[in-house]
Amino acid sequence: MGTISSAFHLISGALDADQAALSIVANNVANANTTGYTEEKPNWEENSPVSINGVNYGTGVTETGATSVRDRVLLERLDQQQQLSAASASRLSALNTIQALFTPDSGSSSATAGDIGSDITSFFNSFSSLEANSTNNALRQQVLSTATTLAGDISNAADGLNSQQMALDQEAAVVIPQVNALTGAIAQLNAQIQSTSPDGDAGVLEDQRQQDLSQLSQLIGINQISTENNGLSITTTSGQTLVSEGSSNPITAGMANGVTHFFVGTTDITSQVASGGGSLGGYLTARDHDIPGVLASLDQLAFGITTAVNAQNNAGIDLNGAGGTGVNPANPALNIFNQPAAVAGSAAAMTVTMTDPNEIAAAGPAGGAGDNSNAVALAGLANSASVNGKGPTDFYSNFVTMLGAAVAEVQTENTARNASVTQLQNQNNSLSAVNLNDEAAAMQQLERSYQAASQVFTILNTIMTSALNLGVPTAVA
Amino acid sequence: MQQLGNGRFNAELKAMVVEASLALARLDAERLEELALSCRALNRDLSARSGQERLEMAREGLELTGEMAVFERVLEATRANLDVMSRVRELRAGQREYGSSVRLRSSARREWVRTGDGDGNH
Repeated sequence: MGTISSAFHLISGALDADQAALSIVANNVANANTTGYTEEKPNWEENSPVSINGVNYGTGVTETGATSVRDRVLLERLDQQQQLSAASASRLSALNTIQALFTPDSGSSSATAGDIGSDITSFFNSFSSLEANSTNNALRQQVLSTATTLAGDISNAADGLNSQQMALDQEAAVVIPQVNALTGAIAQLNAQIQSTSPDGDAGVLEDQRQQDLSQLSQLIGINQISTENNGLSITTTSGQTLVSEGSSNPITAGMANGVTHFFVGTTDITSQVASGGGSLGGYLTARDHDIPGVLASLDQLAFGITTAVNAQNNAGIDLNGAGGTGVNPANPALNIFNQPAAVAGSAAAMTVTMTDPNEIAAAGPAGGAGDNSNAVALAGLANSASVNGKGPTDFYSNFVTMLGAAVAEVQTENTARNASVTQLQNQNNSLSAVNLNDEAAAMQQLERSYQAASQVFTILNTIMTSALNLGVPTAVA
Repeated sequence: MQQLGNGRFNAELKAMVVEASLALARLDAERLEELALSCRALNRDLSARSGQERLEMAREGLELTGEMAVFERVLEATRANLDVMSRVRELRAGQREYGSSVRLRSSARREWVRTGDGDGNH
């Protein structure tokens, strides 16, 4: 029904709308420095036309609330990159600690795991020295001394790796209460958002939820699924539900095979979480993949050296005139190292069992006193394919190189992920935070940067390729 | 332009690759465009170098593979981010179109209401 009051309402509605918009702008300015605050923009809604005496006048506008300027696509991308960045950072930290174990200890004569390469050389060189005077007691003592250093450094390295594995296990376990606290908080926020803002943006509540999601992404790999009425469900990257709208499923921890495993209900999600991302993913990847891999190589090295050296010593005659089991299986074994039954655990268990240097079998089975033929054979093991098809020195060198390459690869990954997160945060700030940049300028900056960087990369790559191909002159337009 | 054969080439080029990665991380388009110009000039300069100098480049170039790998990965991540931002822009454009279609419907409604009665002074 058309009335004067309707016309007045048309005018006063516009004034109210302006006032509400001003309040929102003031709120933006007041929260300009609040972490996680998202700029709000007023929503204007066209009113129904006013009919006065059959004539319809305008429609007017009403301010119907505020919508935060956030973009789920961008925020989810940012969360995903944070998951990968956190995973590579925690894995890199663990790998650096592992690599430090195998870094040579320069300037110190004390035995360290990092000196394994030189220990191997010294050990086999001691047999070469013995060749010259196979009955010399000092030279025999030198063989046992270098063997003890080698065994000690290898077992120390294994102990260090086991300690590192347990430390990572504890760090992983510490993450779980944080994850559960965040998923619980997100579930509560979901319930609030769904009840108060089922059809629109929830403003500050949405900001809080986004902040919790961001923190959660740094801890564990997740997928986000939008649900009805502005709700949100969260799963692990492999699909295990952590939050279903207003309820959360806590992760529990329990021991299995000596390490902590993680469960949702009765489902073991450890391997899923390890590959999912976040710092937990990085810890578990280092604990369950990197360290076991390094330990396996170290076990192969220890098993290969031990088995080959013991077998060769048992094939000769010692200074007491006794032959080893290779000469006569009924003879007592002339083992220099304790002989492991299996490859696994060889490194940690590596020790020197021989105490009498006279038991070093320098002579061959047919040689008499002073013969050195078996000492020559023992020295030759340095270059024999005794460790997984390689000589001990080559195997260890290859192992250290592979470890270094793995560290470099994760370092590259981490640098790139951090850069990606920085870019996305800049983009998100330009869209969502309170500043003067607008969407178009931010996008243009991203495009310009990418295009210029592509040029730099293309030219440098061409130069490198040209250089590596030994210099066919290259011209890049 | 730096001289080859005194070890500076490698250091300068390495510094350039590292700086390019950092500039790309913070989306410093201006600096990246300067680096692109520098790279073009460097490439022209190297094309005129002797075979011996290019052999030395080969030796030094091998040491840049790590830095180039980082740069390449950052570039790949940037391209993925650019795709995401393009998608965001498309979605926003879609929302704007949706918004305008709502206005069109309102406008049509207004026209439909106004049809017939004229100014209403009857």
